[in-house]
Formats: sequence, C-alpha cells, structure tokens
Amino acid sequence: MTQENALRIFKSLSDLSRLRIIQALMQGEMYAELLAERLGLTPSTVSFHMKKLEEAGLVLSRKEQYYIVYSLRREVLNASLLDIAASEPEQIDEQIKREKEYRQKVIDAFFEYGKLRSIPVQRKKKQICYEVIAEKFVPGRVYTEKELNEIIGSIHEDYCTIRRDMIGEGILSRNGSEYVRIR
Amino acid sequence: MKEFIDYLSQRIEACKEEIAGLEKSGRQDDADFAKVRLNIYTICRTVTDALQDRPGAGAGAVKAQLERFRTEWSAALDRAREHDETRNSVVGEVRMEALGDVIAHFPEEEK
Repeated sequence: MTQENALRIFKSLSDLSRLRIIQALMQGEMYAELLAERLGLTPSTVSFHMKKLEEAGLVLSRKEQYYIVYSLRREVLNASLLDIAASEPEQIDEQIKREKEYRQKVIDAFFEYGKLRSIPVQRKKKQICYEVIAEKFVPGRVYTEKELNEIIGSIHEDYCTIRRDMIGEGILSRNGSEYVRIR
Repeated sequence: MKEFIDYLSQRIEACKEEIAGLEKSGRQDDADFAKVRLNIYTICRTVTDALQDRPGAGAGAVKAQLERFRTEWSAALDRAREHDETRNSVVGEVRMEALGDVIAHFPEEEK
C-alpha cells in the first residue's frame, strides 16, 4: 500500500456518515437504497459516500439486477493501523508529479464535461488544452477539413482558431485540405 | 409575499442549525450538502426581496425567475448524471429538491 492509499483510507473514514455505513456493512452486504433507509440519508448522498469508500479501497460494489450491492473489503479493513501508517510514499519523481498535477488543474479549469469553456490566453495552458483535444484524433489517420472541424467544433465553437493553433503548435500537420495528428 | 419570505427565512435558519449540527458530529460532507441547500434558500430570498416591489416586476417576475432556475439547474443535473459525476449529481439533486420545496411554497394566489 502506498502513502496515498493510506491517506485516502484515513480521509474517507474521518466522516461519521461513512463510519456508520461501514458499521452497517459489517452486518452483511447491502444495496444503496437500504443503506439510505437505515441511515436516514438520501440514496444520492449514500452513493456519494460509497464512491469515497470505494476509492479508498474499503468497499466493493457489484451490480445485481437494478441494484448496486456493496460489501466490505475485509482484507483492507483487517489491516492494523500501524501497517497502514507505515506505508511507503509512491516512487514518483517530484517534478513529474508537479507537472501532472498542474496539467490536471488546467484541464479541470478549462474543460467541463468534455467541452472547452474558453481558449486559454497563456501558451502553456493553451498547449495542454490542445493536447487534450488532440486525443480525439487517431495519430497518423488522415482527416478531411470537414471531419476535423466537426470534431473540434463539438468541443469549442471557435474551431477555426483552434485548428490553426494546433497546426502552429505542431500537433496537427496540414496538407491541402487534409490533416494528420503528428503528436 | 410576506409569508413566503418568512418561510424562506425560516428555512435559512433551519439550514444553518443543521449545518452546525452536522459539522459538530463530524459529518463534513453532509454539512457541505446542507450548505448547498442553504445557498438555494438564500438565493431565492434575495431574488424575492429584489423583485417583489420593483415596478413592473412583482410576484410574477419572482415566479418566472424560479422557473428559470429550475430549467437551468435541471439541465446541469442531467449533464452531471450523463458524465457520471457523483459529487455534482448529488449537489444537483440537493439543489432541485430545495428549489422544488421553494416553488411548492410559493403563494397560490401569486402563481
């Protein structure tokens, strides 16, 4: 277990509602609606808490007909606090980690549900956003201008500016009216 | 409209008490959702205060604004569900629930 996992476990358990969910699941597996009824919470709130517990690796879920049934991951919950506290930090280069975090921050700020809110002014942020848009294109495949415009247009209305910038940034290459993703 | 504003004020006070209770008992996430509810009641009271006496506005304008909120927030909730955004979905549901309560308490004669 990494230190990040350990932190997730401690954070997820530092909430009374989630502790009560764990207590309820100690009696056996249960579906969200029943948990909600027992704990006096709305089903959507229970789903939110379950997601946190799942991310921490403390519960498992499985679909059964129309319901999602939750159960405890006892192998994790049976670990001693000392074992969890002694977990090692993940071996990731700090610089790479910072860049990854910065990139995610930019993506979160400029994209909402796959749409670009606005074209960033700062070049670094713009590059990150264009790299995200570039993921919509298969590298090496030739796209017509119409196809390209449709794909970019589904992300932001100003597809002309973005198309031009992506060529300028060396993300796309243009040959007549054909375009290829090159990085 | 006075009764409606009083009702909104009561709900605001009740939400504040609920938030304090939840925070005290270590239920921070539930307290955050209660803050969303508090925010909705506060917005609705602000809108009502601002529009009720404005010339050419009045109760009809308040009701129209509440319906606009319903349309916008319902679309935001659909988007969150569509993209499987758990937190935003819960926030959207809490928001719609509180707004539904507000609209249900809007004075009949003004509707």
